[in-house]
Amino acid sequence: MALGRFLVRRILQGLLVVWGVITVVFLLRFVTPGSPIDAVAPLDATQETRAAIAAELGLDQPLHVQYGQYLFDLLRGDMGFSYIKGQDVAGLVFLKVPATVELAVAATVVAIVLSIPLGVISATRRNEPVDYGATLFSLGGISTPNFWLGIMMILVLAVQFGIFHTSGRGVDFGDVVLSTVNSDPFFGTLVGWLRFITLPAIALGTYFTALITRLTRSGMLDQLGQSYVVAARAKGLPESLVRYKHALRNTLVPVVTVLGLQLGSLIGGAVITEAVFSWPGLGTLVIQSINVRDWPTLQGCLIVIGVSFVIVNIVVDLLYASLDPRVVYD
Amino acid sequence: MVSPRVLRNLKREFRQSALAKTGLVLVLLVLGVAVFAPFVAPHDPTEQNLDNRRQPPLGFSRTTESTSSQMVNGSIEMVTETTYVNASATHPLGTDPLGRDMLSRVIYGARTSLLVGILGTLLAALLGVGVGLTAGYRRGYTDDGLMRFADVSLAFPSLVLAIALIGLWGRAAVPIPDPWVVMGLAPGMPKTFTLPGTVIVVVGLVNWVWFARVARGEALSIREEEYVKAARAIGASDWRIILRHVLPNAATPILVLGTIQIAAIILLESALSFLGFSGTTLSWGFDISQGRDYLASSWWISTVPGLAIVIAVVGINLLGDLLRDALDPGFEGEGGV
Repeated sequence: MALGRFLVRRILQGLLVVWGVITVVFLLRFVTPGSPIDAVAPLDATQETRAAIAAELGLDQPLHVQYGQYLFDLLRGDMGFSYIKGQDVAGLVFLKVPATVELAVAATVVAIVLSIPLGVISATRRNEPVDYGATLFSLGGISTPNFWLGIMMILVLAVQFGIFHTSGRGVDFGDVVLSTVNSDPFFGTLVGWLRFITLPAIALGTYFTALITRLTRSGMLDQLGQSYVVAARAKGLPESLVRYKHALRNTLVPVVTVLGLQLGSLIGGAVITEAVFSWPGLGTLVIQSINVRDWPTLQGCLIVIGVSFVIVNIVVDLLYASLDPRVVYD
Repeated sequence: MVSPRVLRNLKREFRQSALAKTGLVLVLLVLGVAVFAPFVAPHDPTEQNLDNRRQPPLGFSRTTESTSSQMVNGSIEMVTETTYVNASATHPLGTDPLGRDMLSRVIYGARTSLLVGILGTLLAALLGVGVGLTAGYRRGYTDDGLMRFADVSLAFPSLVLAIALIGLWGRAAVPIPDPWVVMGLAPGMPKTFTLPGTVIVVVGLVNWVWFARVARGEALSIREEEYVKAARAIGASDWRIILRHVLPNAATPILVLGTIQIAAIILLESALSFLGFSGTTLSWGFDISQGRDYLASSWWISTVPGLAIVIAVVGINLLGDLLRDALDPGFEGEGGV
């Protein structure tokens, strides 16, 4: 079966990239000025103490042995130990993952819900005011730094009008789900959650909303000129069916490709959005660990980010099959 | 390099499109301001005036409340005094938390943004086009190896990789003399301009992969062209073919990508300096972060530099759209509904 073979091949390719990611992250430690021993040893440590620490950390071993040990530890889920935080890196990193995933998913939902209808309307009402509006919006959206947009929304909607919280993550989505079964008021919890997540989700999602609107608009214009659309109209299909079932479906294929490629910007954007809204996720951890020179934690974050990028891109590739059966997996 | 057909399309598109004209005006504005910063800026952007902190822009005023203990009718009471800070024409866009002129800072910030945007893009293009053309022309193992490496690079978001590298390498700042001031044409302005060296190198390193992808795609199709086969037949070396035949024919899409990348790198630079990962404090992103602590009382400190970023990036993106439309003339005619 072609799909099965494709999946196996794609996963093997993904593993290769993951291995590359781990190698690059491992090597990062060696382009760092200073030695990891400095992070642990007291300032007045003797040469013997430093040597003992090096032996303890395995730093006296040749490079390939250290590398092998690093790979082996990772396979066991051991990402090393953060001497600065005094905790295992794996625990530290995975504790922060849900907040970042929640933010990224919320932003993606905002982006998809707004952009695809906007792009379709813009393409079907070409050169009408709604099209100009959508074009200006998408131009502004791809040209506005998301952190500044976040600050402007804080300024107006949080500081001036007090509708939303300025920062933090007081209520998470898990609380909202739980409130359907426990005694917390569901509606109150939902509103509480929305007051935290709305601004960061919009700040992070605006760029993608704008990008997908542009892609959907140009893709739809392209598709609506194709002869199969003329044929579908000629046989009397309702216009909504022509647009949404036929043209939109073909438009979505390139849109999905670009989304997969831009996933890196989504995670990168999440890092800075988290910094603006003090959102306690991976991004905040990345910046913190750089500022205090906590390299093991930084390495752990980079590996988690790199691996999730690879996984999501495999999922994106599989999405093609459901969107466009003509895609040949070779 | 660029064919006459493309140039004709470019002119036609430009004449027809109001957006393209707007883009050109915005880009020329930002470029002009950056080049002639010492003449345009009313003050030295680094000159502090602590008596004149957070002065509002023209047309606005700011109130401050100070509480002090005073003798009132023989007893000590806490008295709250409200004072108004008014705008002045000396500082049309107000001042920052250290009393520096916002307008001058925004003007000098254009230099940082454009220099990082252009030099970073050039570096990324140099690396990416080199790798991409080689991979696409040679194919086989070279291609597989280089493209898997590109996949690995793509797995790290640019911003994350950039802050990691700057965190590791430090924030090098390269002072370069300001030619106008050296020539004595703009007395009283800063003699040197600080170039955030590490930032330029890092943004180039994290963005090469986009150029590599485009260049590789072009090289893959160009290598099958007759003229390349002919060159190979007369015994031209691979390097000669890549430089003399493949590169010129791949130039236009690379040019379009380069334009968009300048915009992307300006956004990346502003994010880096916002987070404090830059070698200079004369940057739009840095000023936005300065204003965060004063949002409730002094909104302009964060607002003004952000608007400058939007103006610059919108302008460049509009020019990028113009180039793309001119290259792909079939697009306009299709889908007429």
